[in-house]
This record gives sequence, structure tokens and C-alpha cells, in this order.
Amino acid sequence: MEVKLLTEFYHLEEFRSLEGYKKNGGYLELNKALKMQPQQIIDEVKASGLRGRGGAGFPTGMKWGFLPKNGEPRYLLCNADEGEPGTFKDRMMMERAPHQLIEGMIISAFAIGSKKSYIYVRGEYDFPIECLRVAVKEAYAAGYLGKNILNSGFDHDLDVYRGAGAYICGEETGMISSLEGLKGQPKLKPPFPAVQGYLRKPTIVNNVETLAAVKYIIRDGAAAYKKYGTEKSTGTKLFSLSGNVKKPGNYEVPLGYSLMNLITQEGGGIKAGRRLKAVIPGGSSAPVLTADEVAKATLDYECLSAMGTMLGSGAVIVIDDSQCMVDVLGVLTHFYHHESCGQCTPCREGTGWLNKIVHSILEGRGRLQDIDLLLKVADNMKGRTICALSDAAALPVLSFVQKFRDEFEFYVREGRSKVKGTTYAEMHH
Amino acid sequence: MFQLSPEGIKEIKNELGRYEARESAIIPSLYIAQKENKGWISPEVITALSELMEIPASKINEVFKFYTMFNQKPVGKHHVQVCTNISCALEGGRELARHICRELKTKKDEVTADGRFSISNVECLGSCGTAPMMQVNDRYYENLTPESAMNILRGMK
Amino acid sequence: MPKCTINGKEIEVKDGATIMEAFRQVGEPIAHYCYHPGLSVAGVCRLCICEIEGNPRPQIACNTAVTPGMKVSNKTEKVKDGAKWILDFHLINHPLDCPICDQAGECGLQEQYMEFGKYDPEMAEKKVKKHKVVDLGPSVVLDSERCILCSRCVRFTDEVSKTHELGIFNRGDRSEIGTFEGKKLDNKYSLNTVDICPVGALTSRDFRFRQRVWFLKEGNTVCTGCSTGCNVKVYFNKEGLFRVKPVYNEQVNGHWMCDEGRDVYKFVNRDSRLLQGKKKSQGVWSEMSPGALALDAGNTIKSTPPAKLAVVVTGHASVEEYEDLLKTFQGTFKTANIFHWLNNQESFASFDGLLIRGDKNPNTQGLKKVLAKNKIQATWSELENLLKSDSIETLVVVGPENQAVYPDFAEKISKFAKVKNLVWLSSGGHNDFTTLPHYAWLIPMKTFVEKSGTFINHAGLEQKFQKVTTVVSEALTVSEVCRLFQGDKTLSPNPSRTATFVEASRSQDLVTLEDRKKNEFVFKRGPL
Repeated sequence: MEVKLLTEFYHLEEFRSLEGYKKNGGYLELNKALKMQPQQIIDEVKASGLRGRGGAGFPTGMKWGFLPKNGEPRYLLCNADEGEPGTFKDRMMMERAPHQLIEGMIISAFAIGSKKSYIYVRGEYDFPIECLRVAVKEAYAAGYLGKNILNSGFDHDLDVYRGAGAYICGEETGMISSLEGLKGQPKLKPPFPAVQGYLRKPTIVNNVETLAAVKYIIRDGAAAYKKYGTEKSTGTKLFSLSGNVKKPGNYEVPLGYSLMNLITQEGGGIKAGRRLKAVIPGGSSAPVLTADEVAKATLDYECLSAMGTMLGSGAVIVIDDSQCMVDVLGVLTHFYHHESCGQCTPCREGTGWLNKIVHSILEGRGRLQDIDLLLKVADNMKGRTICALSDAAALPVLSFVQKFRDEFEFYVREGRSKVKGTTYAEMHH
Repeated sequence: MFQLSPEGIKEIKNELGRYEARESAIIPSLYIAQKENKGWISPEVITALSELMEIPASKINEVFKFYTMFNQKPVGKHHVQVCTNISCALEGGRELARHICRELKTKKDEVTADGRFSISNVECLGSCGTAPMMQVNDRYYENLTPESAMNILRGMK
Repeated sequence: MPKCTINGKEIEVKDGATIMEAFRQVGEPIAHYCYHPGLSVAGVCRLCICEIEGNPRPQIACNTAVTPGMKVSNKTEKVKDGAKWILDFHLINHPLDCPICDQAGECGLQEQYMEFGKYDPEMAEKKVKKHKVVDLGPSVVLDSERCILCSRCVRFTDEVSKTHELGIFNRGDRSEIGTFEGKKLDNKYSLNTVDICPVGALTSRDFRFRQRVWFLKEGNTVCTGCSTGCNVKVYFNKEGLFRVKPVYNEQVNGHWMCDEGRDVYKFVNRDSRLLQGKKKSQGVWSEMSPGALALDAGNTIKSTPPAKLAVVVTGHASVEEYEDLLKTFQGTFKTANIFHWLNNQESFASFDGLLIRGDKNPNTQGLKKVLAKNKIQATWSELENLLKSDSIETLVVVGPENQAVYPDFAEKISKFAKVKNLVWLSSGGHNDFTTLPHYAWLIPMKTFVEKSGTFINHAGLEQKFQKVTTVVSEALTVSEVCRLFQGDKTLSPNPSRTATFVEASRSQDLVTLEDRKKNEFVFKRGPL
């Protein structure tokens, strides 16, 4: 069952405007928060157990706690570079409720003592950017942004920055590089952004959904927020359901929800005449689950991690039995090859190598030893680079080959897809 | 020879003062210049920006070539980008892209003879729940079928 | 000052030191490409991975600070296997064209493969095609396929030369080093990018295809291009010198040198040298061996009244040579007419903020110091007056080695040609020497790589340098010439095998001229 905490009013067109937003509880929590001590807010967020909704799932309160305790200027950056294939929740949030994000950001900025924040939105999101820019203007006019917000003495400026098309800018330090006017290449850690981030100043980067959730933690209190979800995965989360499912879309459910229920109930199940074959549970970088595994999976950090995959951004991609897994993997290796920033050698060269091997197989030039070579190459790309893109490129390869090896072997031997019965040229040219 | 319009120059100067670092104005300025150069960035555009912004051309070029939304060659009046990443691929995105190319009698990454369209495949645009989809210039068109996509495109002037 | 253990060796490092610095301090080999001590840390080649006790994931040494008690190793199986794979990732798209690559023999990829690689390559796919023989600028040529994108050259132009010509364009394995269209890598330090390129991607237009590096020997010396006195290494074989590269000296030049300094080898080679002594007597030239010529010139000098004897000296010789010169002319020949020939005086004090100085002499300070010590205060205008009034009978010129930085060279020849007897000590030839007066002696001199001595740089730093090789056997040093002027018979112009250069305490060169000829190719061979 859906639990509409963040998305309660998303069905209302007026919720996008300041007026409509205020009619439905908007900016009440900003008022409340500005009367609290910043540390109280941080403590509340810590107590709520809120974890980053962008993909890594790092505890938000703990991240805030890494900031230096002095009065050094600091930045809050909202990561709205939603690029993980299969994910489209942030887009909906910005389109339907831009003020919800802005309110969450002002509260968070007040908590961490930041006077300047940016929302970094992926460049393709033209409409969400438009919605945000209008909303920011409204918020300034209403005194929610700028000097002495609601007579609290707190000043805050917020700007929207448009990215320009690079998956890697969803990585927080890649995003910082991009905002600094450079190529969006991730930075070496240490130093971590909380110590030296944007322009070498302490910086917190949080996802759209994370920042929006802060409002509801302030509204209901940590204890109430924690009632949703499991012990280690608290609260609700938006899941982007896509692929071979009848009713794809964004669904807000409590963490710990059954993956199968999400597919069959919210998603309306698999199309007639088809059967569930596999699910990628957390965006394209998450290792794939077989249908048998899906039956046992719940949507929380610990269960999916125990199953060798991850909750990631909450993008649930459903694959039915009409799909050829070699072909699907080809789509993914192509993507990571296209998006590797080119900095670290194992990723730069490895993503290309993986893509070439998979396409050799697809085009009927594969050798049996290529299947093991895929595993070896992918294995040696893991944990060897500045950021996680290399791992993200390797994990799907490892899980696809390990779990659907028969399809790969068939393809190499016969030069055609086991599922579709056709060659790559017949499928795609 | 490419020249920025007076408004473009004004906008770029405004961007230069908008952020903490001057370099942060590179991406916004590339957008402004791309719009003024029929949708793509030529070397002359980089040279003009470098002179106006007082930032080395190599650094602007690095940024330009890193981001996919800056076009490295001319595009059609309607630049059609069809998502072929996973969720769309599962729902026929690749077939859609091929269909559009066939119908418009053109090839991927090329401009149609009349200059009206250019088609390219693109990675995930965050529209996975409404697959397959395409983006034409800045606008998204979702839940497409080959027929509905062609109807939309044929309706464009 | 934290203590740590590197491959079992305990050392103390300075605060904030990285594991990479600890490895270098203790002398343990560690594979790396992108790390360079003179540049910021990029951390992209990933080759310097090592295992830290208690940390399950190998870390890169270049960006990990040493913490007290840290135990680090790059000899564990995990690290060895990892480094092998990372090396393979470097090589899968590399053309492996070593037989036609200029870097072969001093290539990071070759070296690391032998040290850390030695695997069987499994790459069976088509390699990525990139640009080849790219004309980057007047001095540097790029082969993008060989490039491993370590970004050292880009960081150099951003951080050191601050000229920002280079960038890495495009993403992933389509990334390429380059300049923006139409722009050139054209700065006074551009060849440093060739030095720091760990592979054969950037090559020097001057050096490429001229010699295989394993046919070259090397020796350290001091650059004579200007008064900075960069520490350099020259590469040579019996055909002469081929290139000059910087040697690290924190106090003087750090890791770098300028492009101009790399040309100093050119005036050392035989084709621009004076190979035989030349004497003009009553307007007729004849050739003599250098030693005999110096003895002969000495007779004329000795017979000149001290007041009519003068010496002109440039900042190109060593401190030891200046001392011998003073001892001879002030001490023995009793003249105080010793004049400092200053070139390009207008721009003498200029400095580009990095290394290049307007004083194009390596030892102006050394000369000034020796002259001051000996209380020589003669000014150039005094010389001009003496010349004008025909008061000089015999003039001895200790000329510059690098004539190119003496724009007034030809003018000075015609000026000095007015005296009756002109003795010119010169390592190089010059067309205008034919216009010298009726009585002239042209004595072939050794260059800086052929002798040992001391230069004092602009900041007063004394730098000793050792003889590297011999290019022209019979050429002489100023000290040798001075002794010959005084008729020192132990320096026979027709030496037998026993006739050696004496005063061993001063001269390090104990071989006879015969030996010198035979062993023209005597080296201090460093590691290649």
C-alpha cells in the first residue's frame, strides 16, 4: 500500500504554485524550524534515521555532522542531476512540488548554517527547471529566501543551476566540479565535500527527495517518521517503477515494502502472456535479481544488500521473459561506456572493453572465453577508481553473466539470442 | 563568422557575475551561444566566448566536449532525441528510433535534407515510467508509439 | 613526524606526507604514471595502489596521507594482481608500437610492464583509434594513441607555465589531449611536457628520431643559458650531444627548465666548434695545434708592456678559470686592464617569474666576485677610451661560448680588430673572425660540458659541475691557456705519452692529449 507522506498533494495542479502549496501546509515547517536551534534540527534528522535518497543511502544527519564546527562559510547543494537509468522521481517532485524542495532546503540550510545553496538540475529537465525558477522567484517575493527570512535573522540565497548532460554529475563531487565550471569529473577523496567541497569550502550535497523529507521530519517529529519502514531503513521512499510492467510510475511506499507487491499491486503486474524474468531493483547500476529472488526481496537497504544488490535510487526496472539478457546487458554496457568521465584508467578503458566484448557476442563474434573474460574485467574494475561509476558499470555485468550464463553461452555458440531466436542484426537493423 | 548578439553578451556578462567562480558561467554561456548559433557549438563560438569571458579556449572546449547537450555539429530545426536506455529499450525505444529514421529518410546523427530534423539516440532522460519517449529540442513527448511519434513530428513546422 | 612501515622498512616522514612520498623516501619501487612531485595530485592512473594494514580496500599511495604506525605494502598478492590489471587497462588501447616509438628505452609503460606486469594480454577487440602525429606546437608532437591520459602535461600548463594551452577533450576512452583548434602549445617551457610524459605520446620535435636512447650516455651539469643555472643532464654519444633535460634541484630550478636552455647543447657540438688553432701573421692565416698556438701567443703577450696589455672577459667561464686568469694577467703580466664584457645590458635584470633571466651568462656573479676580490675596477668606458687612443697593443679576449646570446658579438669583433695583436679564446667559430687584424691568434676552447668548475648563479649560489664528456679533444680550458701563455713547458704542444697536464690539484683531467683523442668517448654512464 502506498503511504503518501511527501506525495500527499501531488495530484493537485495548484500544489506547484506558492499559493496552492501554502493552502496545503506549505512553509509551515519553515516557520517552525526557524524557531528551533539548528542543532535541534540536526538531532531530529539524525534521530529520524533518514538516509540519502539519491543512491548511496548514507545517513543524512551523520553527513551533516561531518561539517566543521567553526563558522566557516558552507554550501548546501541539492543534487537534482537524476541520471540513474530507471529513475524519474526527482523530476516528478520538482514538477509537482518545487516549493516542497525549496522549503526542505531552507530548513536544512538553517540547520547546517549555510547562507547559499544551489539546486543542480540535469540539463535535460527543462520543465522542472522552469518550475523551480518560478518557485524560487515566488519564494524570494514572499520573504522565504533572501535577507532575514521570516524575521528570524537568518539569510539564505538559493539559485538553480542547469547541468548539461553527463551522468557522472550525479556523483556528488562530479556535480561539484560541474558547478565550479569544470568537466564533471569526480574529485579525489579525501578531502570529503563536508570538509572541502564546492570551491574548497565545506559543502553538503543531498538528493531532492532527502531534502524534501526533512520538512516532514520537522512536521511530525523523528519518532513519527521512524514508524514507517524498518529499523535501519526508516520512512517512506519514492520508487520509480518502469520496464515491462502494466502501470509504471512513481509510488511512495514505506521502506521494507515487498518488491513483488510493488510490481503486482502498484504496478498492476506483468503484461498478459508474459512472465517475470528479472528485476533491477535500484537503478541500472544495481545487480539484477532473478524472479525467484524477487519473491523474497523487500525494498529496504539491508535486505537488498544481503541479496547482493542495492536499493540505490529506488528505480525498479522490471524485465519480462520476452527480453534477451545479452541484449539488455548490451544496452547497459553501452551506457556506462558512454558516460565514463575518462579520468581513472580502469573505468575509462574497462567500460569500453566490456562494451566491446558484449557487442562482439551480440554480433556473433563472441568466443566462449569471452564470458569469463567479462567477469574478470568487471571484477578488476571494482573498487579501483575515484568514484563508483566503475563499480556501477561492473556490477550489472557480473550479475547478468552469473545469473543468466546460459543465455550468454547459447548466444556465443549459436550466434543468436536464446530468447528471441534471432541475431542482433535481425533484432536491431 | 559567429558573433554573439548584444543581448547574448549582456546575458553572459550577467552570468559571469552570478556565481562565486567565473568559470561557473561557462555552461550557461555555452547554452546562450548554442541558441544563437542554430543549436550547435562551432570552434568560432568557443573563440568568441573565450575572448568575451577571458577564460582560456582550451578550458571552455574541455567543458563543451564533456557535456552531451552541447552539439558538436549542426542539428536540424527540430532536434529529436530518442531514449534508448534500459527502461525505454525494454518498451521499444530502439525500434522507435529506427522507425523515425526510416520515416524521415535519414540516418542517426544526421540532419534531414530539408534541414528540419536531426535524430539521435540518447541515454536515459528520466522518463522511464512513460516509455518509450523522445525529446524534441527542450520538450518531452512520452508514452509514444511509432505512429504517435510520427504524428507529432509531422505536425511540426 | 609520523613513523610508518613501508614494505617492512620503518621510517619517519614529515607531517602530512603521503604514502607515495614515504615510498620514495625509503627507496622502495612503486608503480605510478600520473603522480609527479612537481604537480598537483590527480590520482587517476590508479597504478600506485598499495595495501594498508587494517584497510580491506587497496588505496592509492599518491593521495593517502601517512598516519602514525601505518603499515603499508605494495608487495602483497592483492596489490600485485591489481597493479597488473591496471597496467593491462593502460595497455589495451595502446598501439604497442615500441619499435617505431621514440620513447622506447625510457618508457614508463615498458618499465612498469617489466617490473609489475608480465601478464598475457587478453584484449581481442579493436583498439580505439585516435589522432597521430599531431602538430601541437613548434617544439612538441603528439601521438594520441600512445597517450595514457595521466594529465601531467595538462597540469603542467595549468599549474607551472600557467599558459593553459592543453586540455583533455571528450569523455571516457574517447578522451584526447590537445589544444583548442588553431591554438598551439607554444610557451617557453613547453618541452617540460615531453620530459614528464611517461610514454611516447609527447615527443620533442628537435630530438625525435635522432637517436635511440639506449645509444646515449648521460651526465649532469649546469645549464649555461642564463644566470639561473638550472641543473641539467646532457645526453650524448661519440657524435656529440643530443638533448638536455632538467635535473631536480629544489633551490634552483625545481623540476623544470626552459626550452631555450635545451638548445645549449648545440654550440657544444663539433659542427659549430673551432677545431684547430688559427694564427694570422702579417695578414696570412695558418693553422696550428691549440697548445702550440697558446705558447706562441704567450710570447707576444710577454713582450707587451703591461700598460699596453688588456683582457676582455665574459661571464661564460668558471670561477676557477677567472682565478687563473687573474693570477696570470694581474700577477704575472702585471696588468690591471681587465674588463668585463656585458652583453644585452638593457634586459640584464629581467626575469619571467619562473626560471628565465635576462642575464644570459651562467657566471656573471662569479666573474664579479673574482674581479672584486682582486680589486679590479676597470670600466668598459675606460676600455673604449684606450681603444680609441690606440693605447692597447695586445688584447686578450676570453669570449663567450654561446655566441647566440651575444647580439653584439660581430660589433665587438670589429671594435677589437683595431688593436695590433688580438688573442681570442673561443670555443666556436664565427664568420667575422676573418676580419681580425694582421696579428691574431684564435685559440679553440673547451665548453662547459668538457670541463669541471664552479658557476655562481644570480642568487650567489655556488654550483660545482663536473666534466661530462669531451667533444673537441685538443681544445683548451682558460686555466690551461693561462699556463701556456706563461710558457709552462709541461704542456707540450707535441706531447709524448708521459707529458701530462700538471697541477693535478687543480685540474681533474689527468689524461694526455693522446689519451684524450683515443678516449674521446669517455663517459660517466648513468642509469638509462
